[in-house]
Amino acid sequence: MGKLRLNDLSGGAKLRIGLLILVLILPLLPFVNDYLLHIIILVYLYMILALGLNIVPGFNGLLDLGYVGFYGIGAYTSGLLTVHFGLSYWVIIPLAFINGAIWGILLGAPTLRLTGDYFAIVTFGFSELVVLFLTNEIWLTRGPLGLPGIDVISIDLTLFGGPKYEFMGELPYYYLAIAMVLVTVFVMYRIQSSRLGRAWFAIRDDEVAAVSCGINLLTYKVIAFAISAAFGAVGGSFFARWVTFLSPDMFKFWESFLILCMIVLGGMGNIWGVMIGAAVLVSLSEVLRELLPLLGLPVEVRFLFFGLIMVLMMRYRPAGLRPIPAVAAQMRAGRVKRKKVKAATGI
Amino acid sequence: MKMTSILEINRLSKSFGGLVALKDISFNIAKGEIIGLIGPNGAGKTTLFNCVAGIEKPTRGQIIFANGDHNISIGGKKPESVTALGIARTFQNIRLFDNLTVIDNVKIGRHCRTRSNFFGAVFHNRFEREEERAITESANQYLEFVGLKGRGDEIASSMPYGNQRRLEIARALATEPQLLMLDEPAAGMNPHESRDLMDLIHRIRDKGITVLLIEHDMKVVMGVCERVVVINHGEWLTEGKPQEVQNDPKVIEAYLGTGAGNAALNTGAVNAA
Repeated sequence: MGKLRLNDLSGGAKLRIGLLILVLILPLLPFVNDYLLHIIILVYLYMILALGLNIVPGFNGLLDLGYVGFYGIGAYTSGLLTVHFGLSYWVIIPLAFINGAIWGILLGAPTLRLTGDYFAIVTFGFSELVVLFLTNEIWLTRGPLGLPGIDVISIDLTLFGGPKYEFMGELPYYYLAIAMVLVTVFVMYRIQSSRLGRAWFAIRDDEVAAVSCGINLLTYKVIAFAISAAFGAVGGSFFARWVTFLSPDMFKFWESFLILCMIVLGGMGNIWGVMIGAAVLVSLSEVLRELLPLLGLPVEVRFLFFGLIMVLMMRYRPAGLRPIPAVAAQMRAGRVKRKKVKAATGI
Repeated sequence: MKMTSILEINRLSKSFGGLVALKDISFNIAKGEIIGLIGPNGAGKTTLFNCVAGIEKPTRGQIIFANGDHNISIGGKKPESVTALGIARTFQNIRLFDNLTVIDNVKIGRHCRTRSNFFGAVFHNRFEREEERAITESANQYLEFVGLKGRGDEIASSMPYGNQRRLEIARALATEPQLLMLDEPAAGMNPHESRDLMDLIHRIRDKGITVLLIEHDMKVVMGVCERVVVINHGEWLTEGKPQEVQNDPKVIEAYLGTGAGNAALNTGAVNAA
């Protein structure tokens, strides 16, 4: 989709390079402490997750409420392989990717024939099943006790006579997360302007016209679901080795909802928009976590704020902060009714 | 099946529950002809299109498509396989990919003739690069063919109506069909635009593509069709050369109601006298 790139004129290229430099030197700035780095890594992690989820609602127009299931699968894949087999994280990344994709296919192949809300309900059910499995299959996951003692990531060069370098503190994770975000963004841009991406956009815009162009709906939806799940699982694999402790309640439904909110807030189908959405909501969540107790309110009240944001967005910017170009153009021309934007963005 | 036929529809029936939309319809389409399908509103024209295109599954009957030397029964096949076999269509209410650019719409038409997938997309291997270059090149050729050269970067839904119709034809042509089915292509066009459209349909046929056309604009039907099939209430009524069909009392009656056919005949008789 060459059109999306028109957004980033040469001024945009400068902005991107500037941003990248800023992001790279950020940890060296005097006011940045480990707490702040932790939050920023969380932002990067959610960027990966939101970009992965974006494939399904943003590129294909399907509502997916069970994304956290794949995140959880990836996290436990990573955690269990580390605890039981001591596998290196660099081996775990592709394994988590493949395992996520497999579960995406297993769930998607039979259920992607369902349309709209019915499919959303199935995905919701799936993520609940994952949580139940993680909670009850104690022999494998230790259940509600959680999975502690997951090794940190290390770069082991002893095979080549080099040193073994363990990731201590937040700094190495910070740079690893940046690298993973860059790879994810790169893959998303490549897909967006490929035959595969065009097939997805065709499905999003008009399924009947898409089949008339020879696109097999089920195949392409399953591919989308598998790739989306794979990125969710890779995000989970990073999470497990970063916080070094897992428990089933980290993968509750509201995580799916939060990631979906990031996409809706940023602009469905727009790669930059989705990343902005992740940055805004993660930061807001942390600010509220600090602020709410000072006001004498429980921390959970922050979910009310997310709900409020969604309501306001739907009222004033239904296509998100950075809509895909066609929708933005239509809104500028004032030719589009709110309903039509909803149809175009798939929610 | 005669050697010259490209599509043979044989006692085709389609009912939706108790409603009979098509009843025992049979006719042939010869290779390389422009054939019109007409009939009053609700006659079942679009249902027939949908049955051929695989969107609807026929209740009974056969649809046989001559693909090269092979005759293939396509009744009940999936729409994407029908497209891959070489039958493309446009829609009565334009169905473009509204949020995509004009050129991307045509590129999607190339989908069934290309192969790259996820790994090609991510790693840009040589096969993918060459295929993508070929897709862009041919998409531009199809745009030029329908008269939309240089408009590739516009958003499809922002174009005027007549151009959207052309774009839909370009997208259908991009699937490399042998049979192109156009569902009311002249609907909503001004006389100038429909003249251009008639020219375009002739040029499509000159490329060796057979054209099946549903159309209400009789000027267009008379101007391009070599043969016309008339259906009414889901049943075959008559077929023949456009002029013959136009003066057929049965056809006039189908359009204007009982008695109108006789009235027209009488008028004709008076004029003749």
